Amino acid sequence: MTATWFSAPAPVTRRVRAFFAPVNRAAQTPILFDPSEQGQFNLDAPPAPWIDLGWVQDFVRKAASKSSPLMTGIPAAPLEQVRETLEAQVSLQFLSWTKLTMGLATGSQHMNVLVPTSGTTPAADGAQAAAAVTPQSGSTSTSIPMATSDAAKFAAGAIIAVDVDYTGQTGYVGTPVAGTYVRQALTDVDYVRRITFNVALVSQATATGLTLAAPLPGGAPAAGAKVQAVAGFVDREGGSFYQEWSALFVMEGSQGERIVFHYPRLQTMTGAEEAISSLNQKNQSGQSRVLLKGLFLALPVTDPLDGERVVCYRSFLPAANALV
Amino acid sequence: MQNAKDSFYMALRTRLTTVNPERTILLRGAVRPGILVEEAEAPFSQFPNDVFVLRWLGLAIDMDLASTMTSEQCEVVYQTCGTQSFGGLDRGRALSAMDEELMAMIQPFYTAKLNYVTTPPSEMLTQVFWDEPVFSPIVTQRDQLSRSATVLVYSYQEQAE
Repeated sequence: MTATWFSAPAPVTRRVRAFFAPVNRAAQTPILFDPSEQGQFNLDAPPAPWIDLGWVQDFVRKAASKSSPLMTGIPAAPLEQVRETLEAQVSLQFLSWTKLTMGLATGSQHMNVLVPTSGTTPAADGAQAAAAVTPQSGSTSTSIPMATSDAAKFAAGAIIAVDVDYTGQTGYVGTPVAGTYVRQALTDVDYVRRITFNVALVSQATATGLTLAAPLPGGAPAAGAKVQAVAGFVDREGGSFYQEWSALFVMEGSQGERIVFHYPRLQTMTGAEEAISSLNQKNQSGQSRVLLKGLFLALPVTDPLDGERVVCYRSFLPAANALV
Repeated sequence: MQNAKDSFYMALRTRLTTVNPERTILLRGAVRPGILVEEAEAPFSQFPNDVFVLRWLGLAIDMDLASTMTSEQCEVVYQTCGTQSFGGLDRGRALSAMDEELMAMIQPFYTAKLNYVTTPPSEMLTQVFWDEPVFSPIVTQRDQLSRSATVLVYSYQEQAE
């Protein structure tokens, strides 16, 4: 007799992979994940617009929703339960420092430090930036053609920010990912490129333009977008803006099963914080890794299936041949 | 349990042919990938150089699960004296190369469980999986450097086992 199934114990997994996608803040539209169509996606090539943030550690989900009994009778006894509040939190530690992980682990807007022009007044967010460069037509998410004189301003290994000029707009700014919310008009023409998530590393610089090591998170540059070199990143404790992203956390089981936690709306809850992890447990004062700590509040969406308000979807895709 | 041990060995052996196809051993008249299971060969007076030798050691069983899980401890032993062309002065580099090959062979940390008693081998229902290896310090004996790495190999017992 040939066995065709097995009784699968609880999933065994080594680590958690995180993927984030930008919420359209102006339209209040999160990114949805469909486990029926996308559940078995290749973790190294997530479906657009999900962005791979790599493995995370100390991933903890906390359901903070509160229920209370509806009491009736004498003596009072629970008749049924009602859900009084709906709340959930997620905490984790990012194992890498990138533009996006820093932005997510920051309580407010996250900014690019633009390479300054010479002789400018120092500023905490970076001095007045060198003039932006206008790409030629035909740009894609990984290739930015430029005039020879403009391309000469960049070298392989440089980081660039690609976004439109700031022209006095208010509300959510950043193309296509909202990097902040502007309450009143500002004067810095480079402000959008300071807060944009559309940054990438230049892998090759030639006389005809730039080739990028990884695609721009926002895809091909928007009309009117310009390019500026980035020296680093800066964020602040304080401010009024809250990052909001859709998130996906995937656990792969030892038998090929998969657990997917989909949070349509996650907002950062705390300011920038780090966790120190010693590389050698026997020498706590030696070399240590600095990890970005993320703490998020899950916000609700209304499920069009039945009109229920929910904050998270947990999907389980069983292993092949496993009893369910 | 034997199917899990066989599957683990065959996974590493197959991966070694990709990682370093030049690492081979002439054994019982046949040229094979340079990895073998100690308990499946004639007893050695000493381990061969420049070859990975798998030794099965500890065994633990968890019978409280829906399917019994076994955890088998595998020690991968390897040693080198370097190459003659460099008078053995490259033995450190040779051992580092074997460290890297083992790290490459061990990933991904799972493989399908196959029954090698049948011909051709028949695929079973579950997968064999394991942890990261724990490397021991280098042991130096005159001109020979050796190291071992311990891997815990997990598997579920199936109905047919």
